[in-house]
Amino acid sequence: MHSPMKRDDGDQASQTAEPQRASVWVRARSIILSDYFILWLSIAYFLALAPFLPTLTNPANLSNLLSNTWPLLAVAIGQTFVLTIAGIDLSQGAVIGFTSTVMALLAATTASPDVLSGAPVWGIFIDETGGLFHGLPFSVTLSLVAMLMVGTLVGVMNGLAIAYLRMPPFMMTLVTMIVISAFAVWITQSENIRHLPEHLIMLGKGDIISVYFGEQDRSQIPRREIFTLIGYPAIITVALAVAAHILLNKTVFGRQVIAVGANRKAAEISGVPVKRVIVIVFAISAFCATVGAILYGARLEAGRPTLGEGTFLLDVIGATVIGGTSLFGGKGKIIWTVFGVIFFVLLSNTLNLMNLSTFHIDMAKGAVILCAALLDVARNRYARELGG
Amino acid sequence: MNLRTKLLGSALVAATAGFVAASPAQAATICFAFQDLETEFWVAGHQAITTTLQEGGHTVIERNANEDANRQLEQVRDCIAQGVDGIIIIPQDGESAVTIVNEAQDNDVPIAVFNRPPSDLSKGIIVVADNASIASQAVDYIAQEAIAANPDDMLQPLIIVGDLGDPNAVGRRDGFYEAINRYPDNFAEPIEVASEWDAATALANLEAAVTANPDIDLLFTSSDFLFPTIRSVLEPRGMWVPRGQDGHIMMAGLDGDATACQLIQDGYVDATGVQDLYFEAESAMNAILAAIEAGEAQPNEVIEDPGFALTAGNIGEREMDMWGCVLLSQGFLDQ
Repeated sequence: MHSPMKRDDGDQASQTAEPQRASVWVRARSIILSDYFILWLSIAYFLALAPFLPTLTNPANLSNLLSNTWPLLAVAIGQTFVLTIAGIDLSQGAVIGFTSTVMALLAATTASPDVLSGAPVWGIFIDETGGLFHGLPFSVTLSLVAMLMVGTLVGVMNGLAIAYLRMPPFMMTLVTMIVISAFAVWITQSENIRHLPEHLIMLGKGDIISVYFGEQDRSQIPRREIFTLIGYPAIITVALAVAAHILLNKTVFGRQVIAVGANRKAAEISGVPVKRVIVIVFAISAFCATVGAILYGARLEAGRPTLGEGTFLLDVIGATVIGGTSLFGGKGKIIWTVFGVIFFVLLSNTLNLMNLSTFHIDMAKGAVILCAALLDVARNRYARELGG
Repeated sequence: MNLRTKLLGSALVAATAGFVAASPAQAATICFAFQDLETEFWVAGHQAITTTLQEGGHTVIERNANEDANRQLEQVRDCIAQGVDGIIIIPQDGESAVTIVNEAQDNDVPIAVFNRPPSDLSKGIIVVADNASIASQAVDYIAQEAIAANPDDMLQPLIIVGDLGDPNAVGRRDGFYEAINRYPDNFAEPIEVASEWDAATALANLEAAVTANPDIDLLFTSSDFLFPTIRSVLEPRGMWVPRGQDGHIMMAGLDGDATACQLIQDGYVDATGVQDLYFEAESAMNAILAAIEAGEAQPNEVIEDPGFALTAGNIGEREMDMWGCVLLSQGFLDQ
């Protein structure tokens, strides 16, 4: 049996424990609600796994992490805008495949009739002498501008149908995905188009700043240890991210995007040009996907009609949602997407380094996206509680 | 005792363990990056390579790209970062193979490409079947059989082509036309059915083609893995008929898998071009291990598998030269 004195001690202990528990809870909530939560999570994840996966901190692996981050981030930035207006863009993968094909059709330096002569574009856009713009001054620039216009046009069509015909974004972008993918495969008869100009390939692979770590002697074969620190993909994507950040978080248009996502009706009543915002947002999404097509197409050195198929959209939407952009709309920041992409690329990389099969990797990614969606629900609830 | 003799009497694992693989002074770490394991050929090739390397004391890091060329590039880069000694890849297509081979060679890692060659054959160890020749042999056999059965008729051939971004598919189509064009007075313009190496695509396109052209006399599929698909299209239409009966369509494929072996034995299929899977796997492994042993970072070599055609006429003598028949004899299709 406890003595009264002991009971008092217990009461005091529980009284001091209560505020401590409350303080821990408040701190946990503030971390979860912090803009930098996913960054902290990524750092913790990296540090926790580093002792068990020595390759993780290897300079070559860090260089890979960076190079895998840029193209995914470029595409995810566009998806951030769409999710912020409570939409979804399923056509991004198809836009990547289609526009990478357009890029190659315009810029290729030559093409083989054995491979492409059966394609409807043969003799119109491409032949043995190369793509339509090959040989013109600034042919690469012209090709890139043209492909960006074509990609953006697809987004504008999505936006017009969603804004003016009231098509659900899921259905409209699903239809676009199917049609554009099929069209890309048809015009090339499923052929990849090689022989891109060197300047174009540099956009996907070129170094600007590299780091030399000396000869590696662990392997039986000495090899060069020069790792790309900053390449053209980094410059392109960072420029895109900065521009998108300013647009979404520092301009009237950005506030309109968030308003449309938070409550479309209220935004309309408040005078926000909702339809115009929707069209522009889907155009931005397709534009970003086209930038991704430049980076992916250039690193693979070919225009590929099937680029962006498979589980690619899982990566894009997953990384964006993990970052904290709300699936319910009204909440999105480019910096969150940057952190989400970093976490997602890190997750993929570590799962690879664990030598898991693709199927297990996809299952793990799916589980993490589910956790991110649940976290999104929890964050919304906490935010409401704090607000109330 | 040679490889094939060993294969005859033992299970696949035991057989593949018997490869005369080069043994480097120390165990190597090999990255084996493949695009998928959709067909019997890839499954058997994957098992032969991984089992043999592991039993030789080497470490195998496996990477499945799930038919995504970009993912395969990232996976190979991860392998290079892990400091592997060599890479064996089954690429998604000829174009991505060029990029990946360059990536490996730029990092001084020897690389071998198994069965699906890069569009540029000048770089890397490339083990490839002579697809055009093998396809031509198989198609020539069924062409002659078809002409013998109907010497006065103009016959309608049909080819199911693979993904023409894959040089294997291009070679097989070339071999088909080479054989058919030998008999211009006997064959009409062939009907081409696209499969893109996808069973569902092949099913849809073949159904459309057969509905539009029900009088097909000769059918060549660019890969044996499509025979179940072909059967599902032809059988309901009464066109799946064995040799010796009215309405039999002369049929040939290419790969040499267990299903094709069974169908030749049962009389539904007349020939298949055989890739010597074990020769190819053995060649890729030996070449990469030899390069590692020699400290050669950018080995360039083309190793050609001449292959042959297993037909209804020679199945009695050559059955056990085909990897699919070996697997069939071990009960592969009963598993």
